[in-house]
Amino acid sequence: MVSLYAEKMLNIIANDSLEEKLVCMFKKYGVNGYTVVQARGEGSSGQVSDMSGFDANIVVKVILPESKIQVILESIERKIKKGYHLTVYISDIKVITPEKFEKTAS
Amino acid sequence: MSLSSLLLPAVLFFALGVIAKLIKSDLRFPPDLAKVLSIYLLMAIGLHGGYELAKADIMIAFQSIIWALVLGFTLPIVGYLGLVATRKVNPLDAAAISAHYGSVSAGTFLTAIAYLDNLSIQYETYPLIMLAVMESPAIVVGLILAAKARHTVAARNGATNTASNNSNAQGDFKAMLRDAFTNGSVVILIGSMIIGAIAQPSGMEKLKPFIDDIFMGVLCLFLFDMGMVAARRIGDFRKVGFMLAAFGVVMPLVGGVIGVYVGASMLDFSVGGATLVGVLGASASYIAVPPAMRLAIPEANPSFYLTLSLGITFPFNVIVGIPLYHSMAQAIVA
Repeated sequence: MVSLYAEKMLNIIANDSLEEKLVCMFKKYGVNGYTVVQARGEGSSGQVSDMSGFDANIVVKVILPESKIQVILESIERKIKKGYHLTVYISDIKVITPEKFEKTAS
Repeated sequence: MSLSSLLLPAVLFFALGVIAKLIKSDLRFPPDLAKVLSIYLLMAIGLHGGYELAKADIMIAFQSIIWALVLGFTLPIVGYLGLVATRKVNPLDAAAISAHYGSVSAGTFLTAIAYLDNLSIQYETYPLIMLAVMESPAIVVGLILAAKARHTVAARNGATNTASNNSNAQGDFKAMLRDAFTNGSVVILIGSMIIGAIAQPSGMEKLKPFIDDIFMGVLCLFLFDMGMVAARRIGDFRKVGFMLAAFGVVMPLVGGVIGVYVGASMLDFSVGGATLVGVLGASASYIAVPPAMRLAIPEANPSFYLTLSLGITFPFNVIVGIPLYHSMAQAIVA
């Protein structure tokens, strides 16, 4: 039986032009691993992201320990207040290699 | 202005793209195709232009750059004042939209070249430098207008945290300036122009099939794809409202008149060259500026500026604008 460890996964749906900004924020709070997935869809702000490459969306996925989630959420909240369109949700997940996500910033 | 000018293969393919979307065809190009094609188009036109410019007059090239800067800095202000006067958008939306109109669309410019080639009209190569120069200044003006608008809003709301915001904004502003001038299209265009200018002519001769022979075919493919992209945006016309949609047609006319005048009277270009400067003044960016505005003016509504530049102004310029600026250029030069 493989042991499982509880972690949080933060998902952010954003326009792809914001990728660099989001990655910067993760690094600032000592989160060095993330995954970016191309996405498209439609939402409350009515923007349709088309696949022509001119207006594409991404989903940024980050696995992190619960201890780090609050500071990052606060930073995201500040960005949303500034006007950035970010859709954020968090899920409880299980991982088999917790040491990958527990590292703190040096 | 004759109907035959519309019967360019490139323009017809644009129309085919629009029709394909309107009849809900399942036709779909791979994502990023338009971006890939625009890299090729910028590279080819840059190499071609650089080769020609190596033989050009430095003084005229210098004057063209100055006038490109003047246009790039003035047009967004004209657009901003026009938009604020309509009272249909808030100042931040107005700043983001006008940045698009001060910048340029390489797709429209290349369609204009196809149009002039088709009529065997000669044109100067200098507008190509202007195309490269005009990508960025409007972004800067957009940022300044937005900063001003934010300041006004903050003063009205009596915001207390402006001090901390300001120091942050300073850093952001520097990063945005760097982004504006190191923008991908600018790097490809200027880089290819330099390569075209300094490369050995014998080497350039070998590139001829790449630069010249397939150019119009790739432009057709690009406009085919862009027709579908534009058609998807035309449906949003209702969302932006009549006044804004009208701006998407009036602003290119204003910019076109100013551009043609600068090209014909200030720079003394031929009819072909003045038409191209008119197109530069009239066109609105849809590649370089939207991501810059998303980062710098997040408060602005992206569906406004994307619908205006891609769904209204781009089709308008391709179908009606280019022949019109050509007629204007003929009238002024003659």
